[in-house]
Amino acid sequence: MSLGIQGLQQTTNHKVVLPFYIYASFAFVLGALLLFLNTELVNTHHFNPYTLAITHIMALGWATMIILGASHQLIPVLVEGKLSSDTLAYLSFYFLAIGIPLLITAFYFFNTGIMMQLAAILINVGVCCYLINVVKSAKTQSATNVHAWFIIMAACWLMSTTLIGLFLVFNFSYFILPKDSLAYLSLHAHLGILGWFLLLVIGVGSRLIPMFLISKYTNDKMLWRIFFIINFSILAFIGIKVFALSESFFYMPLLGIGIAVSLFIRHCVLAYKVRIRKNVDEQMKTSMLSVFQILFPILVLMFCFLIFSTKQEAFKWPILYGFTIFFGWLTAIILGMTFKTLPFIVWNKVYKNKAHGGKTPVPKDLFSEKLYLFMQYSYVLGFVVFICGIIFSISIALKIGSALLLLSAKFYTLNTFKTLNHKAQTI
Amino acid sequence: MSNTVKTNNAIRCNFALVDLYNVYDPEIGLNVVDLGLIYQLDFDEEEKKLDALMTLTTQFCPMGESITGDVTRSLTNAFPDWKVNVQLTFDPAWNYSLISPEGKEFLGH
Repeated sequence: MSLGIQGLQQTTNHKVVLPFYIYASFAFVLGALLLFLNTELVNTHHFNPYTLAITHIMALGWATMIILGASHQLIPVLVEGKLSSDTLAYLSFYFLAIGIPLLITAFYFFNTGIMMQLAAILINVGVCCYLINVVKSAKTQSATNVHAWFIIMAACWLMSTTLIGLFLVFNFSYFILPKDSLAYLSLHAHLGILGWFLLLVIGVGSRLIPMFLISKYTNDKMLWRIFFIINFSILAFIGIKVFALSESFFYMPLLGIGIAVSLFIRHCVLAYKVRIRKNVDEQMKTSMLSVFQILFPILVLMFCFLIFSTKQEAFKWPILYGFTIFFGWLTAIILGMTFKTLPFIVWNKVYKNKAHGGKTPVPKDLFSEKLYLFMQYSYVLGFVVFICGIIFSISIALKIGSALLLLSAKFYTLNTFKTLNHKAQTI
Repeated sequence: MSNTVKTNNAIRCNFALVDLYNVYDPEIGLNVVDLGLIYQLDFDEEEKKLDALMTLTTQFCPMGESITGDVTRSLTNAFPDWKVNVQLTFDPAWNYSLISPEGKEFLGH
């Protein structure tokens, strides 16, 4: 069966994707800076203005924006088709780019009025544009594959998360829900963490990790199992929350997520073992590390948050849990995958029509490997030191850990801009 | 020289491969010949037509457009008066056994 050149994978226009990467890099620096300036938050309840601001910078400004950018680029790879609409992608960016800073400012100064409400509406419109684009892109394919389903469901859960967020914001002023907003915070957070981030990372990672390792390992049956386990676990979690069942029921979805994550780790390890490319680059090492880091928050929940929490220490476990998610596995996979995807996007932009038979730089030449290593080491060290600071309540460890994370964010941004500013050259 | 490329004209094929050795998969950093991406090169002397049949390491390769474009440009440079037609196939799908010994060494085997 010969496809001809028209059978080629269609790539997304770089103009659609790059603004998301630029925006996210600044959000990462801002999130790390606010963490550095507010390390004492570790000893306070997580429902406070500064923690909410930092969490939403990391969840929306950093992780969601870069994942949206990358997923617009990867939709053709995942759905085996093309991105349905560039306009919807631009609209998604503009609404979110305006909504996120408004929301963060509103949280920081705890202005629950018009600013927070407008921000929540803008964010929901942006997410809606993304959801429509994903569904329309996937619909063009006759046989929708497992990866496409991961991205479709993830987008649906993101929409649910932001819609609940919208209700919570209006509930501050108009009491539209039966209870106060704090009662729904866990539901809002977990729909986002499990439904949006976990599903998307697994859906994208299960295709990209074998692809970049040049591994022929595939197991769609296993991926379908993971897909259903995660979705059933989320539904179980919603049921427990809605019907206000006893806390012991939470082990059910927790176990489900633990099994799904373990299966995903197994999937990645098997892909790694049968890889054709034996020399693994640093970006893939960071990405593989992040796969194992998904276990951290689950362990925190299992062994600390639910079993060992005492009244005096109760504040720090949710903070540790959130930290291991947003500064842990999500940040690690983004650090690794940014420098696998961004150089490709820029390379395609600069060289696609002027490749001269091996005389042009290759994508990995577009960023500085030295800066990448500095970023990686400061990130891993900062992550470990900050975790020790939370667990053992050591203020100086929290300061040093967050300073290292801030340094890592600066190296990341520098390298991102080095890649973005690459001009055509021959070697 | 690769012994995996099928052809109806060994001399012209070797001439084409010299240029194709300079076409790289940008992600892997290995040339398309050692990587085993070129399946067939057929030369029609009368019509001055070159039909190239090639593959990619994965059907969803985001660099596919760049690689096939580069192969087309390279063959056009090697045979400026010929009509070059590059076709893509995934049957058979690319696999490890198609990589040359030099390519395997490059990949760390």
